[in-house]
Amino acid sequence: MSKALLTEIRKYESDTEQCMKCGFCSFVCPVYQEEKIEAGVARGKNELVKAVLAGELELTRDLADRLYKCTACMACTETCPAKAVVPRLVVAARADLVSQIGLRFPYGLVYRHILSNRKMMGRLVSAASLFQSLIMPATNGRVRHMPDFLSGLTKGRQIPSLAKKPLRRLTPEIIRPSSGTPVTRIGYFSGCVNEFVSPHIGLKTIDFLVRNRVEVVMPRAQGCCGAAVFLGGGDFVTGRLVADSNVAAFNDVDYVVTDCATCACALEEYPRFLADTPERKEAYVRFAGKVRHTTQFLIDVLDLPASAFRTSPLVEGKRLTWHDPCHLNRHLGAKQQPRQILNSLENTRFIEMPNSDRCCGMGGQFSLLNPELSIKIGDKKVESIASTEADIVVTACPGCQFQLIDGLGRAEKPQTVMNLMELLG
Amino acid sequence: MLKEEIIRQLEEIVGKGSILTKKEDLATYAYDGTTTWAHPPDVVVMPTTAAQVSQILKLANENLIPVTPRGSGTNISGGSVPVRGGIVVCTTRMNRVLEINKANLTATVEPGVVLQDFNNLLAKENLFYPPDPQSFLSCTVGGTVAENSGGPLCIKYGVTKQYVLGLEVVLPDGYVLNIGGSTVKNRTGYDLVPLFTGSEGTLGIITKVTLRLIPKPAARRTIMAIFDDITLASSVVSTILANGIVPAKIEFVDNFVIRRIEEKMKIGLPVDAKTMLLIDADGSVAAVESEAAHILEFLQSGGAEVARLAKDEDEANMYWKARSAGFAAVYGAARTVIAEDVTVPRDKLAEFVKKLEGISRKFGFQIVLIGHAGDGNIHPSVFTNSREKEELDRLQDTLTAIFEAALELGGTLSGEHGIGLEKKRLLSRALDPMAITLMQRIKALFDPNNIMNPDKIWES
Ligand SMILES: Cc1cc2nc3c(=O)[nH]c(=O)nc-3n(C[C@H](O)[C@H](O)[C@H](O)COP(=O)(O)OP(=O)(O)OC[C@H]3O[C@@H](n4cnc5c(N)ncnc54)[C@H](O)[C@@H]3O)c2cc1C
Ligand code: SF4
Ligand code: SF4
Repeated sequence: MSKALLTEIRKYESDTEQCMKCGFCSFVCPVYQEEKIEAGVARGKNELVKAVLAGELELTRDLADRLYKCTACMACTETCPAKAVVPRLVVAARADLVSQIGLRFPYGLVYRHILSNRKMMGRLVSAASLFQSLIMPATNGRVRHMPDFLSGLTKGRQIPSLAKKPLRRLTPEIIRPSSGTPVTRIGYFSGCVNEFVSPHIGLKTIDFLVRNRVEVVMPRAQGCCGAAVFLGGGDFVTGRLVADSNVAAFNDVDYVVTDCATCACALEEYPRFLADTPERKEAYVRFAGKVRHTTQFLIDVLDLPASAFRTSPLVEGKRLTWHDPCHLNRHLGAKQQPRQILNSLENTRFIEMPNSDRCCGMGGQFSLLNPELSIKIGDKKVESIASTEADIVVTACPGCQFQLIDGLGRAEKPQTVMNLMELLG
Repeated sequence: MLKEEIIRQLEEIVGKGSILTKKEDLATYAYDGTTTWAHPPDVVVMPTTAAQVSQILKLANENLIPVTPRGSGTNISGGSVPVRGGIVVCTTRMNRVLEINKANLTATVEPGVVLQDFNNLLAKENLFYPPDPQSFLSCTVGGTVAENSGGPLCIKYGVTKQYVLGLEVVLPDGYVLNIGGSTVKNRTGYDLVPLFTGSEGTLGIITKVTLRLIPKPAARRTIMAIFDDITLASSVVSTILANGIVPAKIEFVDNFVIRRIEEKMKIGLPVDAKTMLLIDADGSVAAVESEAAHILEFLQSGGAEVARLAKDEDEANMYWKARSAGFAAVYGAARTVIAEDVTVPRDKLAEFVKKLEGISRKFGFQIVLIGHAGDGNIHPSVFTNSREKEELDRLQDTLTAIFEAALELGGTLSGEHGIGLEKKRLLSRALDPMAITLMQRIKALFDPNNIMNPDKIWES
């Protein structure tokens, strides 16, 4: 590939110079910790991108494979004394790769046509859901193999089953508090998982918000957040279509609130990666400024007191532990908010697990392209969870939830996985 | 390029998953912590046993293929750069801690164990391994032995070589040699162990290390002091030591770093001050209290503008964090930062700093100091943003001037980073010519075919 075409990574050329090659990132990089191969760690990836920019290496598929081996956990950046942000470089490189040599099959198909089109995703998922109920016995919604169109991509891993009806068919478009003037008006961004797999969590959040005097809008025109498309897939062209339609859908709300840490993060990243014109820049920046993960919204914006968080009877008397989703903890910087909520829950016990902020190994795309590695990283997390002897591991990102369910299930550990919102009464 | 047949044999030895041959991987084993040196190997192997290492070296020796050992590649001297290509033997997968013996106060580890992983394990047992190169999050034990690394604690506790009791080393012909043992006293013939501590991978590959440990000191106090004059700071350091107090660390930063710390952390440092000292006392609770009080007195009577005894662990950690932040700021300040490693006798520190100011003026580069006042190893860091040939040439002249200034004051070329490629052009100015000849003879004795990390340490 000619040097002139490396438009996205070239934007980060001076950032690549930040790295002083101390290697500290290797201590925390989940990928490096498993493989101990230099190309896996931020330092190696940074040097590879530098070599590409210098024209010493080409952006080949072999090189891409190495760059794709990154869960985007940002642990490297957090530890880096020079604050090099290698995961951003990785996204930029994916974008150049996509615009030069195209997407790999079958991901290209999925990103361009399915994830970017919520209706089509809905149809496919319902079809898969139906298909699933035909051939699979119900397993209390715990774990089972997902025989849908994604099965080719998930290589037989256990993931939760699909809901009978998507969230949008279960809730009106605008929900107002029953009395008084609302304190604020938010748009609820459902995200693919709460939309299709766990709409009950979305319902719970909406209900909780409304009871706390928030007017909730669930725009029907919203789509996928685009994380898999532009962050994981490097498909910025489709990413812009997704972003434009989401930005338009949430035009008239004060905040955009989501239960999915990955979605929150992707929505916030529109300006950085996708703003190719001044108009987009302006619109994306305004939009990104409104985005909050639910935990951030409840604590930072609503400033709810401990008494606002009642314990659901489902978890009364239970021992809870918390897994920090990387997207929430490091990308969004929300470390204390979820803990504040957990500590508010009476009649439960909160136990910190060792290395609660270590990546679970999901990383979206990463786990699809590197299933064995993802499992190995997940197993370390499972050990941490098990060591707490908690009853429930709580988290706030569906991606992590899948990974934890899969890992705990395979290791035959007794812990169940719950979304933070499910704990609220 | 290596013959297909060699690659095939290497693959047979280590297994398919432990060999890298694609250029995209080789490129990531081309560099170390320096900005100046890079050259890719032809192949990287990641053995897991000494037996595999032995087979690899035998093969390389028979076929005259250069071999470069590598831990984490954090050295800053070009030491792990495979300048002639060939085989990189990377130890990162030989990373088991084989034994921690609490009664004997020893530990035996494989070379690829990362120092901080080791420290974490020891902490659980209330044990302590003092050598603390500031790359502890990444460097391997094997690398620290091969570089004879030391860090801030060396003023009180010494450097790596003082802790290596025994080694297993694979020699270039494949022989697996065991030397030393696991006793502190060991007087059996020539002591061959120290030949390998600091050998920079030129004599053989270390595959097992037995280290001496000490019990973890019960207490620590941290003292921060600010001076307007480096001469005063340096003479207080001498006073403290002359009075029989040996602090665990005496670290030193200059005005540039003080400013960066204050910008970031706002802890009320006088931003015009020339020097900040950070001193740790450790030991038993009673001893530490009395040492800290004495140190504080010496600082105050010695002309410190500010001298503060951290009241608790949090304040102490804040100062040490500030120092690391300062270190990061130095690296973030320019495109290229060359952190030099010259060391001068402690009583020449102030004089050396004055000379550095002159060198900075003369050559027009900013030079920042962040180092170890306790041992005269102060890491002058030279900043440049340019890639222009003229500027890079001038940079080399600046570095030479720094070395010359240090040597004039009776100092050494390298305190802790080693010679590698970075400083070999200067070695003959720092050593007795016969010393270099003897080193070359020793090298030839161990490695007659010159396959082990060739082209390092001296000019051939
Ligand atoms: C930010 C930073 C801070 C640093 N601070 C300090 C400090 O305070 N004090 C200090 O002394 N150094 C310091 N260093 C230098 C460096 O970290 C040390 O030299 C370290 O010991 C190197 O370890 P490594 O595993 O990275 O070895 P590498 O860099 O991989 O190798 C170093 C040398 O050892 C050889 N080698 C490696 N493993 C073996 C083996 N098993 N057998 C034989 N030879 C081998 C290599 O061939 C090479 O010549 C610092 C470096 C950085 C980047
Ligand atoms: S921690 Fe930062 S500076 Fe150090 S090697 Fe990693 S990316 Fe580079
Ligand atoms: S983001 Fe995570 S996985 Fe990716 S390089 Fe950094 S530490 Fe490794």
